[in-house]
Amino acid sequence: MSVRRDEATSAFERVRARAASFGSVRPTRVLALLAGVGLLGAVLSVLYGIVQVDGDPRALFLLAGASVLAATAFARTVRVVVAVGVATVLLSVGMVLYVLSLPHDPQVVAMLESNLKLLAGQSILEIKRSEVWALSVAPTPLFVTWYLSVRGWYSTAALVGGGTLGYFVLTGDATLVQTLLGVVSVAALIGFGDLDRGGASLSAAEPVAVVLAVMVVTPLLISVTPAGSASPLALGGGGGTTVEASIVETDSEVELVGSISLSPEVRYTVTASESQYWRTSSFDRYTGEGWVRTGESVPLDERPLSSPPGETRRLEQTFEAEAPIQTMPAAWRPVDVSGGAADTAQVTSLGGLEPAEQLEPGDSYRVTSAVPDVTAESLAAAGSDDPEAIREQFTQLPESAPERVAGLTANITADASNRYETVRTIEQYLETNKEYSLDVDRPEGNVADAFLFEMEAGYCTYYATTMVTMLRTQGIPARLTVGYVPGEQVDDNRYVVRGFDSHAWVEVYFPGQGWVPFDPTPAAPREQAERSRLDEARAQNETNVDTNETAIQPNPGETPLPEGDPAASAESTATPAQPANISGVAGGDVGAIQGRPGEFEDQEGGSSPLPSRERLALGAVVLAGAVAGLRRSGLADRAYRSVWLRHVRRSDPLTDIEAAFDRLLYLLERRHRPRREGETVRQYLADIGADPRARRLAELRERAYYGGVATREMADEAVSLLEELREA
Amino acid sequence: MTDTETDVPDPTLESTIEETSAVVEDVIENVETVIVGHHEEIEHMVTALLGRGHVLLEDVPGVGKTMLARAVAESFDGSFKRVQFTPDLLPSDVTGVNIYNQKTQEFEFRPGPIFANVVLGDEINRAPPKTQSALLEAMEEEQVTVDGETHTIPQPFTVIATQNTVEGDRAYDLPMAEVDRFLKKLHLGYPDADEETEMLARVVGNHPIERLEPVASLADLQHARDVAASVTVAEHIRLYATELAAYTRENAQLGVSPRGTISLLRAAQGRALLDGRDYVIPDDIQTEARPVLTHRIRTATDRTPGDVLEDALASVEVR
Repeated sequence: MSVRRDEATSAFERVRARAASFGSVRPTRVLALLAGVGLLGAVLSVLYGIVQVDGDPRALFLLAGASVLAATAFARTVRVVVAVGVATVLLSVGMVLYVLSLPHDPQVVAMLESNLKLLAGQSILEIKRSEVWALSVAPTPLFVTWYLSVRGWYSTAALVGGGTLGYFVLTGDATLVQTLLGVVSVAALIGFGDLDRGGASLSAAEPVAVVLAVMVVTPLLISVTPAGSASPLALGGGGGTTVEASIVETDSEVELVGSISLSPEVRYTVTASESQYWRTSSFDRYTGEGWVRTGESVPLDERPLSSPPGETRRLEQTFEAEAPIQTMPAAWRPVDVSGGAADTAQVTSLGGLEPAEQLEPGDSYRVTSAVPDVTAESLAAAGSDDPEAIREQFTQLPESAPERVAGLTANITADASNRYETVRTIEQYLETNKEYSLDVDRPEGNVADAFLFEMEAGYCTYYATTMVTMLRTQGIPARLTVGYVPGEQVDDNRYVVRGFDSHAWVEVYFPGQGWVPFDPTPAAPREQAERSRLDEARAQNETNVDTNETAIQPNPGETPLPEGDPAASAESTATPAQPANISGVAGGDVGAIQGRPGEFEDQEGGSSPLPSRERLALGAVVLAGAVAGLRRSGLADRAYRSVWLRHVRRSDPLTDIEAAFDRLLYLLERRHRPRREGETVRQYLADIGADPRARRLAELRERAYYGGVATREMADEAVSLLEELREA
Repeated sequence: MTDTETDVPDPTLESTIEETSAVVEDVIENVETVIVGHHEEIEHMVTALLGRGHVLLEDVPGVGKTMLARAVAESFDGSFKRVQFTPDLLPSDVTGVNIYNQKTQEFEFRPGPIFANVVLGDEINRAPPKTQSALLEAMEEEQVTVDGETHTIPQPFTVIATQNTVEGDRAYDLPMAEVDRFLKKLHLGYPDADEETEMLARVVGNHPIERLEPVASLADLQHARDVAASVTVAEHIRLYATELAAYTRENAQLGVSPRGTISLLRAAQGRALLDGRDYVIPDDIQTEARPVLTHRIRTATDRTPGDVLEDALASVEVR
């Protein structure tokens, strides 16, 4: 039977088959392997994102290249069992290396616990030596995935690669685009792989292409739609996110977003004898695109609160929540917590406070802080002899930080004679050279670099991030701190803090003094933006904007602190911040962190970055799917045909008759069935029981085509017959 | 018929076609007074005649091969000869011999039965190869060479040969090269019950063949052949025939020869004429392909030549 089939293959098809088998690689296999490459790319780009924060990405690329090469070689020579064994050994060796690289021996149980936390959404960047972890883990999934792909075990390869990516999705380290690329690759790998194993032809792959394109387009549509329709709660700045949502409400990460709005709702009231920045948390690790706090928060008894070195003064504060909130603001540096909500207090790895569970309106707690009593003189005299651990942790910069940031910073601070002057110079440089604006497009790549060299304006997170980056390029330990500015003073010692009081600033380490806050954000425009937002909210009678105290005093005083220069006056540096709600009240503001319209809109301004490789790959998938879909659905063809059918361009009689006949066949094909090869027109017409007019048209064509006689009259008759048949 | 034709001063091809087609229809009707059923085979016989070809009838004995051949032959008013091939038949019994004439003191040629317009070669496979090849040479060359002297056979000239399929080892099967010279090989098959009953009714008493009169002249036949030769064969048709032949060559041990392709087109021209058309259409090719091509194909597998041809017809795109 197979002989018969071979015989039935026409010469043309055989030539084509020979051309296709040239090099003995089927097109479906090529597509499957490309999908495998896409999957590797997705996994690798996540790993790159982790490694580049604190390590050398070249090491990652070397490891990845070696893994893929080894996998290719192994696939031809080594059986699956052996390869899996090799992979297991690789993973074990990697894990041992990682554990050995840790500063102190971790407990097995603690490691398992932390793994559970990773799966629950904790970023890998939050674990110790995450770059070493990534490098240790990297070879195994890359090796196994590629080995299985080359070997032809496409589904298993998809399982391994997809599983790895899934892990990163759970830890939250894979971005939307990376995840999408990975998922599409997995589907493509399985789909094309299946076709390849079945020996199907390339045209059979078209439905797979369509499915993949749908996979890419659908999530984009779903995520664009809600952001595009801008829920009514997203007021003010026009963006989907509030400042507060982006910085204060985050758990252990700060993601830098684009345009942002202000929430006028009251978060808490503070009773304190002096106004301070009410601080909620700090972040040590800069990824280039956001901030992460490494290490875990523990209950108070496991990590006692301690006061900073140097001179301090004590400050008692009482915080009362006015809305559901999940942060515990306090003036730096908290040394004691008491009162109702104090049981739930935890200490972060950087000495801040946070509640283990959400505080409800009315919950209150009392904090005693040891506020560093610093002066310009004491800071100038502090020197730069930082402890090794501090220097290592707080001068980290991601690989994506370009040299020019360091160059510019060195230029600006060339005249500074000590650390304090350097810090002040940078702070003033940012205050004077950048405009304050809540309406910005999130830049691609390193935020500090972009803010410094490409953007004209930004808000507190941009200022603070850039300042920390600049300081770190000079080897000065610095960290990003978020919280609230003191808020509206309603009485001698009472402050009402609203959502828009949330803020981000910088803390710089001074030997002998500890962490000292600096705020590079120009205060005046920020306050003005906040005040106009408050007026607007009051004019529109929004709820939760005022407390009893503020309502009585419709024209409250300004924030009393000279924020621009907190260090110049020791009193100005510390204020506790109040937590904000996680979900409910500002729901419209919170939800839109991902899928922001800005991600899909054209970038304004001169620095329009090229789309990332992942996006290009996904775009190619969409394009291929669209083309295949169009071909498959025959839409383009059908549109063309319907025009074609109705219009016979007249030329010589023979051509006219042929044109009419072609259209007749098309009509009949749609109404009955296509004519088979080897079937004569007469047989075809007889078989489908065609209209006598169709037979007449066929006869005219027969005479013209085979008999070589074509007159103008015949052509006219043929065309009018076609018209009649088309209407029939 | 000849008269009417001279009356027409300058007939257009179309009217010529109609007239010729009418003559051919007459012949078919005439044959059908003798032969019951087998309409298709009769048409095939006639289109072969129009295509200037010879016909081989092959079947079991007694199904009317000879009767069909006689009926067709006797529908024309030309000379008709019948040769019964036997194992002891000599080539000269077919071609003729030189005999010494006592009166003129010279050898003179006495033509054999091959010198006729229609020659019926009965049971051709019973004769030895040498005698067969004498016949086949005459068919191909349309001339006979005896003692170095060439004698031309009068035109039109057609051989209708019959061959039994049940002779077994007492028969000399025609070699492929010689079968190729027949334009068509036809099988009659048994008549169905109705036809056989009808046939019996006709032949009891006087056999109708005895009363058969010619309905067309030799000139009519010659003219019809000329008209058939003028039937248009478009390039698409030539291409189609070529592709059919190419298919059989690729998919069988021995495929259709170029002579087979020529024969196919000639038969198709005859078919077009019979249908009253002055151009060949793919349907003509398909109808004629089976009897014209099948006997030129030899297969090495268990697939029959007929299977290969059906595949070809089904899969080669109609142009």
